[in-house]
Amino acid sequence: MIALLENLKIDIPFSYLDKGSFGEIETSAHIAYYPKSTVLIQRHTALESLYYIIKGRVVCQKDEEMIDVYQNHDTFGGIELIENKTSDYDYRVEEELICYEIPAKVFLTLTQENQAFRAYFFSTMVERMALLKDKKEFSAIGDLMVSRVDTSILHEVFMVQAKTPILEALDQMDRANATCILVENAQGYGIITDKDLRHYILNKETKNLRVAADIQTYPLSTIHEGELLFNILLLMTGQSIKHLPVLDEQGKAIGILELIDLLSYFSNQTHLVSVQVEKAQTLDAVIAAVKRVNVIIEALHTKGIKTRYIAKLVSEINRKMYRKIFTFIMPKEWHEKSNFIVLGSEGRGEQLLRTDQDNALIFEDSFEPKMLEEITHRFIAVLDEIGFPRCAGNVMIINPKWAKSLRAYKNDIDTWVDAPTYEGFMDMAILFDSMSVAGEVSLHQRLIAYMIQKVQETKTILPHFMRAIEHFDSPLGLFSQFISTDKEHKNQIDIKKGALFALVHGVRGLALEHRITLTNTTLRIKELNTIGYLSKEDAKNLIEALEVINTLRLDAQLIKQSKGEPMDNYISLNTLSKIERDALKEVLKTVNAFKKRLGHHFHLSVVG
Amino acid sequence: MFERWKQKRNLNRLKEERFSFLFEEAKADEYVVFDCETTGLNPKVDEIISIGAVKIKGNKILTNEALHLLVQQKEEITHHSITIHQIRNCDLDGAIPLDEAIEKFLYYIGSRTLVGYYLEFDVAMINKTLKPMFGITLPNRKEEVSALYYDQKIARIPQGHIDLRFDSMVKDLALPNLPGHDALNDAVMTAMMYIKLKNMSRNKGALRRV
Repeated sequence: MIALLENLKIDIPFSYLDKGSFGEIETSAHIAYYPKSTVLIQRHTALESLYYIIKGRVVCQKDEEMIDVYQNHDTFGGIELIENKTSDYDYRVEEELICYEIPAKVFLTLTQENQAFRAYFFSTMVERMALLKDKKEFSAIGDLMVSRVDTSILHEVFMVQAKTPILEALDQMDRANATCILVENAQGYGIITDKDLRHYILNKETKNLRVAADIQTYPLSTIHEGELLFNILLLMTGQSIKHLPVLDEQGKAIGILELIDLLSYFSNQTHLVSVQVEKAQTLDAVIAAVKRVNVIIEALHTKGIKTRYIAKLVSEINRKMYRKIFTFIMPKEWHEKSNFIVLGSEGRGEQLLRTDQDNALIFEDSFEPKMLEEITHRFIAVLDEIGFPRCAGNVMIINPKWAKSLRAYKNDIDTWVDAPTYEGFMDMAILFDSMSVAGEVSLHQRLIAYMIQKVQETKTILPHFMRAIEHFDSPLGLFSQFISTDKEHKNQIDIKKGALFALVHGVRGLALEHRITLTNTTLRIKELNTIGYLSKEDAKNLIEALEVINTLRLDAQLIKQSKGEPMDNYISLNTLSKIERDALKEVLKTVNAFKKRLGHHFHLSVVG
Repeated sequence: MFERWKQKRNLNRLKEERFSFLFEEAKADEYVVFDCETTGLNPKVDEIISIGAVKIKGNKILTNEALHLLVQQKEEITHHSITIHQIRNCDLDGAIPLDEAIEKFLYYIGSRTLVGYYLEFDVAMINKTLKPMFGITLPNRKEEVSALYYDQKIARIPQGHIDLRFDSMVKDLALPNLPGHDALNDAVMTAMMYIKLKNMSRNKGALRRV
């Protein structure tokens, strides 16, 4: 068999095909060469074959607008063939093309014989991403297999001597709020759990049970510190053990592992951090707890959990953290006179890894905070220690612009609306995406209500506000220009500029127009669907697009995190698999269509 | 003139009428790229192990009609050639006798122009068997890919040293490299080079890019 065909076999969707199907391809497909600028398929003509690119690049255009780009290992023409319609676009060779051409008839037979193969061409990008996540599941299991027990999830040991009278032991246990008793014998430990107590109550007279040693389970299973969690899980579920003592190297008990904690560790470590932050009595305890968040995000991500759910968990932990830091650092009298808010991506509850911080303080108009500078600097120093990079745009409470009275903010809003500038709009966008975290929440509510009111009174401002979505070039354009233009980021695209910004800002503008006070982009889209502005289909597509962008961005950022590189929004096209590139293309198309819709809606072309 | 006379003499020597189609007018824009794997590099003593061939029609390589023939061996394949081609004796299951392979090959190529990389060697290997069988040598027109490549390169770097190794040419022409090293894969690779070189000479703009 020709080696090129061997390569084809491992690429989705061809990997769904069996040997017989490959035989059909082999006896019908040929390799074709097309020089640069060849128009491969003309608009409104029928396709004769399915194309699979061995090497080269093809762009898909409608008039002058670029719709899609296909590169090595990509397949195109499938949908047109299955639906038996002519092409809506021109397909033009942009970089010398060597491709397989599988005749239409053969391709259609294959789609009829193989459901999975056919389904691929109709799958949505999220379904295609799901195919990939299945793959990642294995690596997640791998991670759990090698996780080891560490003291942070252990319960304190409550120990009594073998000769301690039972009732005395129970009394102490109750006061210590322990769930089991460890019994120290001359040789090894014993344990008393609910089961042993039941035995005691039923048999204490007949068997004359008096001291701890009489009712303990002995000898008992123990494990050593550093044992693999996976082995422990097998041991505990295999022998139905609910409480398992963990010993150090000298054989001394250092803690009790409870099955319920182990299970929750496997399912969701965030629960633990959340509890730790809540229980923290000191700043140091808060810092220690939240430092683990980035590790957890990685674990959840490899498990294939959707980024919007991860973001929700992270956002909840962060809110608890801010609240704690606020109570520890801000003077008592501030608590009712000020409102600490987070803005931008944090305000939308969409920040995953700590890429930057955006925060602000709103003060009651009559309140004059003392030692403002010193206190706010202490606050930011704590965030520094946790590992929040400072905000490049200086949107932080140490900046007087973002720590002032409600009235001063209202003045800002007046200026932004009455004397519009690009910078003003960006500040307004950041503030509109804010969320109250600690202190007097009504201050924030009044501020947002004022902003919405002001915009409603001056609706002509919206088109100007929305123009920012056209600030960055069409991302599909970026694809093709990429190699030649951006030398520093070869074969990479900035997903934030390329797609995320337009999507988030577009939704933000619509929310402002429709008086939606929710800040999360997904929730805003859902609300826009509820009030009837977006169809269910459109809303679903936008949410899916957001999900794909964030997933790809998180993938890239986690790699950068593991290498110790600074966080940015570039994703590398070379490292993306075919499905990921497919999904990304779908996303860019969705975002482009959304931009176009906004263009019409806000008449952006007539705003000068 | 001389060429036509030679061709005529060749035809006169043809022992079997059924192969006269080899001497017909070649179809325009149709070619056959072929490559032989052999037990060594000396046509006088070495034998053909396999023949890979593929047709070109315009800018298309008709892999669906590819020919891959394995030839039965009189002697065990030597250690040395195994390391080059990675064809072991056991890989020759399904092999056919040499004269049967030559006949199939002739029917496949017809009167089309033959294309190859160091084609002279492959043609000599075929002729070595063809001559005693039917009295003729391959009458087809022949095009040498490395020569085409040389002509295009030397036009831009006169007196330059031009690397004519197979892999170097594939790389320089920015073609995808196939992992397999058998007669058919080499024929397909050679076909890609040929089509690209033809397009380059047709399109000066593209030439400058390489």
